[in-house]
This record gives sequence, C-alpha cells and structure tokens, in this order.
Amino acid sequence: MMASKGKPARVEAVIIGAGASGSTAAKVLCEAGVKVVALEKGPWRNRETFGGDELANINRYNLWPDPLLNPRTWRDTASSTAKVGQFCPVPQMVGGGTVHWQGWLPRFTQNDFRLRTIAGDLAGASLADWPITYDELEPYYLKVEWAFGVSGQAGANRFESHRSGSYPCPPMPVSRYVEKFHKGCSALGWNSFPLPQAALSRPYNGRRATVVSAFAQQHGDPTGTRSSALNVFVPDAAATGNYDLRPQCVVRELTLDREGRIKTAVYEDGEGNTFEQEADLFILACGAVETARLLLLSKSGRFPNGLANGNDLVGRNATFHEYSAAVGTYEDPIYAWAGGGYVSASTFQHYEHDPSHGFVSGGHLAVAGVGIPLPINWHLPGAPTWGAEAKRIDRAYFNHSLAVAMVLHDMPQHDNRIDLDDEVADAWGLPVARITLKPHRNDLDQGRYLIDRAADILEASGALDIRKVYADRITGNCSHQHGTARMGNDPESSVLDKWCRAHEVENLYIVDGSPFPTATGANPTLTIMANAWRVAEKIVAERGNTT
Amino acid sequence: MGEPTFFTPHQRATVEAAMVRIIPSDETPGAREAGCIDFVDRYLSGIGFIFAKPDGSGFESLEGKAADSWRKRIEILRAKYSKGIRDLDARAAATFSAEFVDLTAKQQDAVLKAADTGERAGTGADAASGSSEPALQQTSTEIDLDFFPLLVVHTRQGFYADPIYGGNRQHMGWKTIGFHGPLSLKDVHEGRYTTLPFFAEGEAEKVKEFHDGL
Repeated sequence: MMASKGKPARVEAVIIGAGASGSTAAKVLCEAGVKVVALEKGPWRNRETFGGDELANINRYNLWPDPLLNPRTWRDTASSTAKVGQFCPVPQMVGGGTVHWQGWLPRFTQNDFRLRTIAGDLAGASLADWPITYDELEPYYLKVEWAFGVSGQAGANRFESHRSGSYPCPPMPVSRYVEKFHKGCSALGWNSFPLPQAALSRPYNGRRATVVSAFAQQHGDPTGTRSSALNVFVPDAAATGNYDLRPQCVVRELTLDREGRIKTAVYEDGEGNTFEQEADLFILACGAVETARLLLLSKSGRFPNGLANGNDLVGRNATFHEYSAAVGTYEDPIYAWAGGGYVSASTFQHYEHDPSHGFVSGGHLAVAGVGIPLPINWHLPGAPTWGAEAKRIDRAYFNHSLAVAMVLHDMPQHDNRIDLDDEVADAWGLPVARITLKPHRNDLDQGRYLIDRAADILEASGALDIRKVYADRITGNCSHQHGTARMGNDPESSVLDKWCRAHEVENLYIVDGSPFPTATGANPTLTIMANAWRVAEKIVAERGNTT
Repeated sequence: MGEPTFFTPHQRATVEAAMVRIIPSDETPGAREAGCIDFVDRYLSGIGFIFAKPDGSGFESLEGKAADSWRKRIEILRAKYSKGIRDLDARAAATFSAEFVDLTAKQQDAVLKAADTGERAGTGADAASGSSEPALQQTSTEIDLDFFPLLVVHTRQGFYADPIYGGNRQHMGWKTIGFHGPLSLKDVHEGRYTTLPFFAEGEAEKVKEFHDGL
C-alpha cells in the first residue's frame, strides 16, 4: 500500500476525466449547485498553448498521448502475444479528444438504438438494443448542438430522425472537396448534406466566427473559434464556483466501503503525492478504454476481478470503428488542406441496415483530405515513399486529391475486450490496457461495401484515378471507443442500467462511450455528450429527492 | 553560429547524402536546398528542439515525465542513426568498395534500396505490410521504425515542417508542392491565417462580413 498524503474535503461528486463526457456532466451538475471535484490525468492547457505546427501536433505527441508514457498493447486473440503500440489513442488532457478534433457531429438515427430488433441475431456477435430510445436522447442532442454553436443545416440529411430544433449556425463554407462530394452523390441520386461541425460559421455567444485554418483536425485551436469541451463546458462549469478541477491527477484505484459503495478515489498528483478523495458518488469519464482499465485496476474482496465486474463483462464488447477511405485524384485543384481537410459533407445513404446487403448495418461516408492532408503527413496510398517518383507524386497530387472515408460500424463481440496487460506498465507503474480484438466477418464485408461506395462517389465526381484502401483488420486508427461497460435493463448481460449507473455499485456512474451497446456507423462524441447530459440531469433530479 | 549537433562530420555527410536521394533536387529544390540535414541534426542534439513555442518565439523546455520520455526517445533514435550509418557504409563497401558518400547517385540509390528491403525482410511480415507507408494512420510511433523508413520520415519532416525546426528553408518545401501555409507560427497563433480563399468559388466572399480582419 502506498502512503497517503492527504484526504481532501469530501464532496458530493467526483468526476474522473475532464474530456467530452466528464466536462458535460460537470457543467450540468455544477450549474445545479452540486460540488464537483474533477480528477484529470493530463494538463489543463489554455488556447494560447496551441499552434499551427504539424510536426509537434501530429508527429511528436504534443497532443497525442506519448506512447513511452502511456503505452497500450494489442493482440488479435487471447492465445497470441500482445505487442506494444498506439491503439485508439485520445489526447489525455482537459478537453480530451475535443481539443484536437475537427468535430463532426452527426446524430445517430432511431434505428441505432434497436439494432438487435432491426437486424436480429448475428452469429459470433453480441448485438443488443439500447435501453434508451432516440426520442429520449433527442432533447439532449439539441442542448449540446446549441451549447457548441454547431454549424449545420436541419433537414439536409434525409435519413436523420426527428429533430425538435434547427442548428444555431448555418453550415460551414463549401470546400472544394465538399463540392466534388456533392457532385458525385448527386450524379448517383444519393442524398448528401453538409456535415454538422463543432466550429462557428458565424459569431456566436460572444465568440468569433472560425478563421478556417489549415491546422484544424488534430490541432488545438489557438483562436477559440472551433468548439470543444475545453472552451465551452469547462468554462461553464468553472463559472459556477462549484467545479474543483485538478489536472495532472492520476487515479490509481477506487476503494469500497463496507456496503460495497465506492468510498474513495485514490490518486497521485503531478508531484507524486497520493491522496484519497471521498465523495457521495463517482462518475467515470475516462474514455471506454481507460474507464474499463480503472475498473479492472480496482480490485477488492467483493470484486476480485475488478469493480462492477461480478459478471465478467467489464471491458468486453469493445468497439472502435476503423477509419479507411477511397482516394481520388483530380485534374483541377482541390486544396484539401483548406480547413484542415475536414470541413466536410456526408451521406447516410448506406447507413441503415439493409438485409439485401448480406451484412448487418452500415456507416456514413464523408469527404476529407487524404489522411491528414498537410505536407508532412499527406501520402497517396500505394505511392513510393522516397526518390524522384515520390517527389513527383507529392508535386502532382498534394493539391489534387481527396478521400471519401467511412466510419465502420464494427460489431460487438464478447471476446473483443480490454483487460490489464500482465507485463507492460505505464509511467505511473500501473498495468496498461491490453486490447484483444479480431474483426467480425461482418466488419470486413461492411467495410468493403462502404469503400466500394466511396469509390462510386469519386468516380461519379470525375476522379481521374481511384485507390481503394480496404480495412483488412481493425488497427485502432480511429479515436472512437465504445461498449466496455454496456448499459442495459438486464443486470446479467449489462454493467450499467439505463441511467448509466452500475447494477452492482449504487454510487458509480459511467458517462463516456463505455455504455454504448453498439458502435453505430457515425462519429460518437455528440451522442456521448448528449447522454452524459441526460445522466447528469437524472443525478440532479435524484439528489432533489433525497435532500 | 554554435548550432547544436549530434553527428560527426562523416555521419552528417552520410545522412545528408542519403537525404538528397530521398528527396532529390530537380527543377525544384530538394532535401539539400531545404536544409533537411540541419533539421535532423538539431532534433538529435538533445531535447531542446522538440516543440516550438506556438507563437514561434523559441522552443519549449521540457520537464518531468515528458523530459524523461524525450531523453529516452532521442537516445533510441541516436542509436538507430549510428548503426544505420555504419550499415550504409558497410553495404557501400561490400558492393562498391567505397564509403556511401563517395558513391554515384545511382549507386547510392542501389544501397538505399537494399537497406530498405533488407530491413523489411529482417523484421517479419508486419513490417513488410508497410512500416514505411503509414497509410491513413493517425499517429506514428517513430521509435518502432527501422533506420531507413525512419530516415525517410525525418527527411520528409525536414522538408515540410515549419522552418522554425531548421529545415524547409524559406518555405521551399511548401512552395514545391503548392501548400499555401502561414508566413509564421505567429500568424496562426494570432488568428491571421485563413484558408478561405482556397474554398469553392465565391465562398470566401460570402462570409467576408463575419470575419473581421481576415
């Protein structure tokens, strides 16, 4: 046991993590008068520390987790040896992934919440309906969209479910890559729409309209004109005086009292001092990988296999999407770095489940630059990496290429999971998350189908040359993570109830992507934040009942 | 000028010669003109040039765990370079009976090609699927790369990174491929850099009234 340096004053709620979900919950709780302590592993940076530096931000871990400090391991099955690598990394700092995102914020559709009912059983997969409906979440989608000043066009996505209000800002300006995408979709008779984005197309709430820099996707924003948890929800929570946000505090474990409730979060601050923070309730918001890891690190007599893990479900059914694309080149200039390559448009034409496809569900397709379309990291798939020909390709296509990318709806599987690595530890001496993951046949089939449709769009938009990059395995190249503490109505088959409270631990809530029973085929963070808002409101309402 | 270096003169000449083959000069500048060698020599000199300050006023000084990690990473990279340079000379000697720097461009290409495929063969199936081609990967783990792909990555970084890091002199890398980047890090930091003129026809004009000073 580590000597404890101190016991800070007990509070009503501890939130572990100050990223997208943790700061949403903090805003709602603090504005309702709840005293919150937030323990965030990373630093609390302000926008003056961000800049337009491709090398630092993309190649040197200025924002990405440093793999020497925060490694993960990955293997495809339980019988193979896990290798150290970056699997599904997300910035670890106040604001989390929203610090460096472009902020594509499509909503899920109503069928996403009942995929098991829609698609039936899929052998080898653990499909489940969500215990909540689209309609229950809809008001919270709107709240987040308006808090963030999302730029979008209501009704433009023909496949979107009911919405109770419009977007606060009109769509972003049309990039040349978006122009090509609409042209291709239109020629094919497919609906396409400006992808709603967490950036201000107009001045909003006292903030300027976005400058539309090339340093956007995977860069922090020095201007504050893109929207993030860091520049919206964290200041909202802090303004109440109820938010005690402690950066650089690494939670090592959660300990229990005699009744089986969480008593303390044991954490280490930046100087290496250990503290025990008591609270009435504990909200985990570390991202689906790190949340599962923390539960598994918290072993006790009552929960020898990790907290809330009596049914051996924590960490299982992990899903990660996978980012891949078809790449096209064009005669006329595209300038895909304009807007950072991700001022985008999407189609949901291949999103919904269609039994005639021969696989379950689908995903959205959206236009972007090729990878990160900035000079260092741009690379035409299949092209040589050095020599005269490589240079010629850089010159010929850097300004003349774009990608139509998919968000793969990968299927949940019982054996695709997070557990603790028994050999590799992080810079704090704690066992790292080990990912065991093998794609389902459905993932590969759906992926091929989506990449083929992406190529259709390129062809219909006049691309000269098309390169398809099929996802042959799930590499964790996307920052989306879900499913590791499923919510459900049956305590035997889920970790959390519909309010994201643990079935087995009454003062434990989880509000990141862990509760998602299925991954869906769309970017998850809008839904994560909407769900965190919903859960936090419920916590506030219950508090009203007990005091 | 007292610019910090890691390489000996011979190492420096060897690495630069290889970089010149990776991004050759033709009617446009290549690795030599852009100063890619200065970029990597400076990078390997210690932990003083890892992150530029976002306003371009200098470099961050690293502390704590980040400093420990970067010291360790730079040590690993230095070892890869030292060994990689020896290997290039050994291959050059074995095939052409000369040091790498004294070979013709064609001979250097042959040595580099052999180094590239030799390394891939030696590191198993995974590397063969593209350690030097990180297509659509969001992040990189450069210390996992073998010497040659690492040198390719660093040459590219030296050609295209912001000039504050020592390469991409006068933005010549950017000009070569037509990237209309910012004049300086300061321009981005102060919100003066916009890409709106490179959006679809007429788009910048439509939103002009919402953008003071752009």
